[in-house]
Amino acid sequence: MIEFSHVSKTYPGSNDPVVNDLSFEVPEGEICVLVGPSGCGKTTSMRMVNRLIEITEGEILIDGEPNTSMSGTQLRRKIGYAIQQIGLFPHRTIADNIGTVPNLLGWDKNRIKGRVDELLDLVGLAPDDYRDRYPAELSGGQQQRVGVARALAADPPIMLMDEPFGAVDPITRDRLQDEFLNIQDDIRKTIVFVTHDIDEAIKMGNKIAILKQGGVLAQYDTPENILARPNSEFVSSFVGGDRVLKRLSLTRVGEMDLEPANGGTDDLLRISGGLSVKDALSELIGSGHSRAVVEGEGENGLLTFAAIENLMGGASGQVTNDGETSA
Amino acid sequence: MSNPALLLLQDVLEEPKLIDWEWLRENFWEDIVPAFQGHIFLSFISVAVALLIALPIGILSARYRKVYPPVTFVTGILYSIPSLALFAILISIPAVGLGPTPVIIALVAYSLLILIRNTVAGLDSVPPETIDAARGMGLTNRQILFRVELPLALPIIVAGVRIATVTIIGIATIGAYISGGGLGALIFDGINRQFPTMIIAGAVLATAMAIIADLLLLGLERYLRPWARARKA
Repeated sequence: MIEFSHVSKTYPGSNDPVVNDLSFEVPEGEICVLVGPSGCGKTTSMRMVNRLIEITEGEILIDGEPNTSMSGTQLRRKIGYAIQQIGLFPHRTIADNIGTVPNLLGWDKNRIKGRVDELLDLVGLAPDDYRDRYPAELSGGQQQRVGVARALAADPPIMLMDEPFGAVDPITRDRLQDEFLNIQDDIRKTIVFVTHDIDEAIKMGNKIAILKQGGVLAQYDTPENILARPNSEFVSSFVGGDRVLKRLSLTRVGEMDLEPANGGTDDLLRISGGLSVKDALSELIGSGHSRAVVEGEGENGLLTFAAIENLMGGASGQVTNDGETSA
Repeated sequence: MSNPALLLLQDVLEEPKLIDWEWLRENFWEDIVPAFQGHIFLSFISVAVALLIALPIGILSARYRKVYPPVTFVTGILYSIPSLALFAILISIPAVGLGPTPVIIALVAYSLLILIRNTVAGLDSVPPETIDAARGMGLTNRQILFRVELPLALPIIVAGVRIATVTIIGIATIGAYISGGGLGALIFDGINRQFPTMIIAGAVLATAMAIIADLLLLGLERYLRPWARARKA
């Protein structure tokens, strides 16, 4: 667990903090996304966790211990670190790059070699093909996979990821995000993830911390709650005018509570249960009918506009200014 | 006509026998080989000493940017002093005197600018994100310098060593004027004795040495950059 406790950062010679009294908790095994416009202090906040930037006031606790209880380098060897520009060592092979932290920790050669192959497999790169190559021989997407593998190398319980999928095209990014979420299902790391992209935040985060200019926490909540109940005009406009549609993208139609489809549905559009409600709605509108059949594992369900409205629970977009996020 | 060079020119024009092969054969072991060895010694020692001085100063200049302008100013002045004048100044210092010492000092002084500049350029060429990633993974400053920055800067540093070496091999010939030895001794003797064979032997060998040293260092530069040889997938 990572706990930010009244964390502030002010650079010498400046009166304006770049991070201002930040307090929140990242529960064990969850991804917390820090998101906000540029200059909101999200990267600074992340870099204070492994003390690449030192805190001015407050403290960051890792499993209850202040992160100042050991030296910066010792701390950083226990925390995975992946950044947008990747920063692979161009003069080292892929295997050497991934083995960096295990090597610093003094693992023996065979153990490192085994771990490198395991990680290459995990991120979908055939070890025999990639182990001995240099970073310049890899595509951007492959390099980002290696960057993630390198961050995971010593199996750190905590990871910091600063736009780790930022340097690739949207299709590759989408695939890398999916793959990483699959990996995360197994490895259950506690992750601080920085992005400027609200869609990525909604997709990757168990929790989202929205920061605004001056490093002030605007809202900290689950993606569902942030979309359903933004606590201020700032959050509402940051998540975008299509936040209702974004909420629909969080659920698959197969997970909806639908009426069974009985008879008389032969001429209706059939939709796969794996589709997001947002995509299903788009298909439904496109079909020209007001109903469609969702093909589930058991019996088929009937998707209607009413069912979608029902899913939204009527709370379709009032900004609550009291900051409360209770259901 | 008192200038030996003009006398020589006159001789050559009268009797154009440029290379006396017999003399070369007879004096090969006695004169030519020692001169060649002496030249290698002068050049190698100078480059080595210059590197020992330039590397730390270069690293400091890259780290503490304020140091860099005064460093380039001083080494730039050293670089621009005419070599004969520098030799004259050095031999007038009692503790230095004649011989190889002032020559080595002068050659070191000439290489500093190139070597320091290339060290700084090499360290500057290391991508900042590579250093950030290294720090973020828990490398200490010393580990970042020796495992990341210097290996990545090395090809550019070696490129500087190439330029410095070729320059030094050339200038070292003038060192014979103050009894520094080396191939310059052959050339000066040849001029004084109006004997073109010695001049040509000295000049050809010095040139050959410079070219070979350049190629060897080019090979080293390539060898130090295996990651650049690897083709894009």
